[in-house]
Amino acid sequence: MTRSSNYDHSKQAWEKDVEKTTARFPERKSSFITSSELPIDRLYEPTQNEEQYIEEIGFPGQYPYTRGIQPTMYRSRYWTMRQYAGFGSAEETNERFRYLLKQGQTGLSVAFDLPTQIGYDSDDPMAEGEVGKVGVAIDSLHDMEQLFHEIPLDQVSTSMTINAPASILLAMYIAVGEKQGVKPDKLTGTIQNDILKEYIARGTYIYPPKPSMRLITDIFAYCQTHLPKFNTISISGYHIREAGSTAVQEVAFTLANGMAYVDAAIEAGLEVDQFAPRLAFFFNAHNQFFEEAAKFRAARRMWAKIMKEYYGAENPKSWKLRFHTQTGGSTLTAQQPDNNIVRVTLQALAAVMGGTQSLHTNSRDEALALPTEDSARIALRTQQIIANESGVADTIDPLGGSYYVEALTDQIEKEANEYIDRIKKLGGAVQAVEEGYMQREIHKAAYDAQKRLEANEDIVVGLNEYQLDEEIHQDLLRVDEALEKAQIDKTQHVRNTRDGSQVDSCLEELRKAARSNDNVMPLIVEAVKAYATVGEIANVMRDEFGEYTGM
Amino acid sequence: MVMKPIRVLIAKPGLDGHDRGALIIAQALRDHGMEVIYTGLRQSAVQIARAAIQEDVDVIGLSSLSGAHKSLFPKVVEALKEQEAADIPVIGGGVIPAEDIPYLESKGVTKIFTSGSPTDAIAVYIKQLIHKETVQTPKKIAHIGIAVESIDLTLPFYQHTLGLELESVEEVESEQVRVAFLNIGETRIELLEPLSDQSAIQSFLTKRGEGIHHIALEVNDIHTRLEQYKQQGVPLIHEEPKLGAHESQIAFLHPKAASGVLYELCQPKSEE
Repeated sequence: MTRSSNYDHSKQAWEKDVEKTTARFPERKSSFITSSELPIDRLYEPTQNEEQYIEEIGFPGQYPYTRGIQPTMYRSRYWTMRQYAGFGSAEETNERFRYLLKQGQTGLSVAFDLPTQIGYDSDDPMAEGEVGKVGVAIDSLHDMEQLFHEIPLDQVSTSMTINAPASILLAMYIAVGEKQGVKPDKLTGTIQNDILKEYIARGTYIYPPKPSMRLITDIFAYCQTHLPKFNTISISGYHIREAGSTAVQEVAFTLANGMAYVDAAIEAGLEVDQFAPRLAFFFNAHNQFFEEAAKFRAARRMWAKIMKEYYGAENPKSWKLRFHTQTGGSTLTAQQPDNNIVRVTLQALAAVMGGTQSLHTNSRDEALALPTEDSARIALRTQQIIANESGVADTIDPLGGSYYVEALTDQIEKEANEYIDRIKKLGGAVQAVEEGYMQREIHKAAYDAQKRLEANEDIVVGLNEYQLDEEIHQDLLRVDEALEKAQIDKTQHVRNTRDGSQVDSCLEELRKAARSNDNVMPLIVEAVKAYATVGEIANVMRDEFGEYTGM
Repeated sequence: MVMKPIRVLIAKPGLDGHDRGALIIAQALRDHGMEVIYTGLRQSAVQIARAAIQEDVDVIGLSSLSGAHKSLFPKVVEALKEQEAADIPVIGGGVIPAEDIPYLESKGVTKIFTSGSPTDAIAVYIKQLIHKETVQTPKKIAHIGIAVESIDLTLPFYQHTLGLELESVEEVESEQVRVAFLNIGETRIELLEPLSDQSAIQSFLTKRGEGIHHIALEVNDIHTRLEQYKQQGVPLIHEEPKLGAHESQIAFLHPKAASGVLYELCQPKSEE
C-alpha cells in the first residue's frame, strides 16, 4: 500500500520517540513472541485496500468467513452455552444435567468414563478402578435411558464426547429418542467421533486407524439419511493443544485431520456437499488473548478455502467452519485455584471474539478434580456475564480490522498451511499419525514450554511467581468408590433379564457386516435395542478389526 | 567415580490417555543423564512390575490423571511385592488431591509429586533416593560474623568487657578484609573490618551500619552440598567453594534463600 507523506512523517517521528524512550526504559524483553513463536511487532499498521479486504476477510456470513459464519453473529443469538458434565452413575449425571438446564444452559454435553470410551463394560477387568471416574459409566441402553430421563430429546441438543465407540453411543441415543417418541430426523447434537486425534493426543483409541476410519464413514453415510440434523463428527484441536501443541499446530493438525475425513468419505463414495455441512470442529482457548482470537479467524478462513478451492465443494454450508470451544484445562493451576476463574474469563472472551458457535468454560477446580456444583455454576455464570453484561456480543467481530489481529490471522494461516503441506507430503494425516509425526512435533513444543516455565521465562501466576504458602485443599467432588460395584450389579442384572438369544443373533449379524463392506450402523442400532452392551458390541469389532497398541 | 546411570520406568497405569506429563518427565530425566523407559498407555499393574524387572530399573514413576490412582498405584506396589521386587521404589504424579497422599504413602508409594512440581526437583529427588545423597545436618555454628568500622576500637569490648579470648587476627587479601576471631565455647565471634572501599564489608557498613553480618555453618560436604543446592535452585552467591580464613573452604548462600539472613558454609582444612 502506498503511504501519504504525512503518514511517513508521523511514523518517523514516532520511531524517534521510541528510540529515546527505549534508551531510558528498555523494553521488558529483547524480543516478543506468541505461544507459536510468531514474532510480535512493536506496532501494527494498516495493510489492506478494499479489494484485499473482500478477498481475505469479507463480510460476516460471506466467504471466506474470516469475520464469522453468520451475517449477524451474536446480535441475533448468543453462542450455545454448553458445559461438559458427567460423573458416576447415569442417575447422578441426569440430576446434574437437569440442574444445568434449569440454570439456563442451552445444550447438554456428556462426559463418559474411560471404560465406556474404550469399549469396556464396567465388569471388565480392564475397567477396575476407572468406573464413573472421569465421566458417566454407560454399559447398556438401560443406563442411557436413565441418563436422559425426563429430558426431551427433541428439545435439547446433546454433544457426546465419544470417539472409538461413537457408533454404539449414537445408536443408544437414537434408541432412547424412539422410546420417547422422537424420530431420528428430529435429533440434534454432536458426536466427537474424531479418532485421529485419539492416536495423536488423547489416547482413547480401540481399533487400528484404517477400520476406525471406515466406522466413521459408515456413520457419515447412515446419518446423511437418518439423522440429517446431527453433527457426525467434531474434529478436535482441543486435545492436541492440551497435549502441548502451539496455537499454529492446533489449527494445522486439526484441519489436516479434517481433510483426512473428507478424503475417506469421498473414497467411500459420498458426495462432499452431502456430508461436509455436518462436519463440526472443536478448539481450545488458551491465555494469549489476541493469538487465540486470531487463531479462530484463521481456521475459519483456511477451512473455507480448503473446501471450496481444494475439494471443489459448491454448497456454502460445506465451506463454513462451525466450532465449539472449551477453555484450556492445562492452563489452570492447582495453586490458588480461584485465579482460574480469571483465566477462564480471558479465554472465554477470546473464543467469543473468535466467533465460536458454542462454548464450555472450565471450572476453577479442574486442576484438582471434577468440578463441584458451585464451581460448575460459576463457570456457566462467566459466560452469561460475558454475553449479557460486557457488550462484546453487540457488534460482529469486534477485533476485525485491528492491525495486530489481522496480521496475526495472516501469520497463523501461513504457518499452519506450511504444516499442512508437510503432512500432505507425508501422505496425509492418517499416514502422518501412523508415523508419529504430529506426536513428535507436539511433544517438542510441550517440552520447550515446560523448560521456559522452569527457567522463569514464562510466568504462570501462583505457579512460578507470586506463590503463596497454601494448603492445596478445598471442597472437591469425589466419586463414591461404591459406585463401581453398583454399576457392575446393574449391568449384570440387565444381562440376566434380556433376551439372550436375540442379543447373540444381533451380534452375529454385526460380525458379518464388519467382515464385509456393509454399513455397520443399522446393525449396531438393532443390537443396542436388544440391550447388547457397549463392551459386547466393541468386542465383536475388536475380533474383526484388531486392536491398536500404540506407537 | 563414574556412576552408572539411573534407570527409570515411566508408566501409565489404567485407561487414562493423558501422557503429556509422563512424556515431559521422561524427557527431563533423560536430560539429567538417566536412562528412561516409557511403557506407553494402558498398562496393568502386573505388566508394569514385569517391565520394571526386565528392564532392571532403579525406580518406577507412575502417572495418572483419571482419578483412579487410589486403586491403581497400590496395585503396582503389590505386583512388585508378588514378583519379589519390592525394593524398587514407586513414585507417582498426576492429578492427585493432597488428601490422598497419606493413603498412597501408607500403601507403599514412596513419594507423590503433585501438579506444578518442577521437573528438576523430581530429578534431584530421584538422584537422592537412589544414591542415598541425603543432606547431613551442619555440624555447628562455626562463627558469627560482625561487621565493624575498626577492629582495634571494638576489641576491648569483647576482650575486656566480655572477657573472651582473642584467637588470631589476619588479613584476607581476596576479600579486602581484616578479621579477628574470638573463641566462645564451641564457636567463635568473627569481627570483620574492611581494608578498602572495594570490600563487601564496606558496602554493608555504608548501607546498614555496624552489626551482625552473617552466620557461618560448619559442614564437611561443601562440594556435594553446593551441587545439590544448585540443582534445587537455592539462590547462591558462590556456586563453587573458595578459600577462606585458616585455609578453610567457604561459600555464601544468597540472603534471598533464608529470609534475609546471609549464611556461609564453611569446611575447615582437613586434618591430614
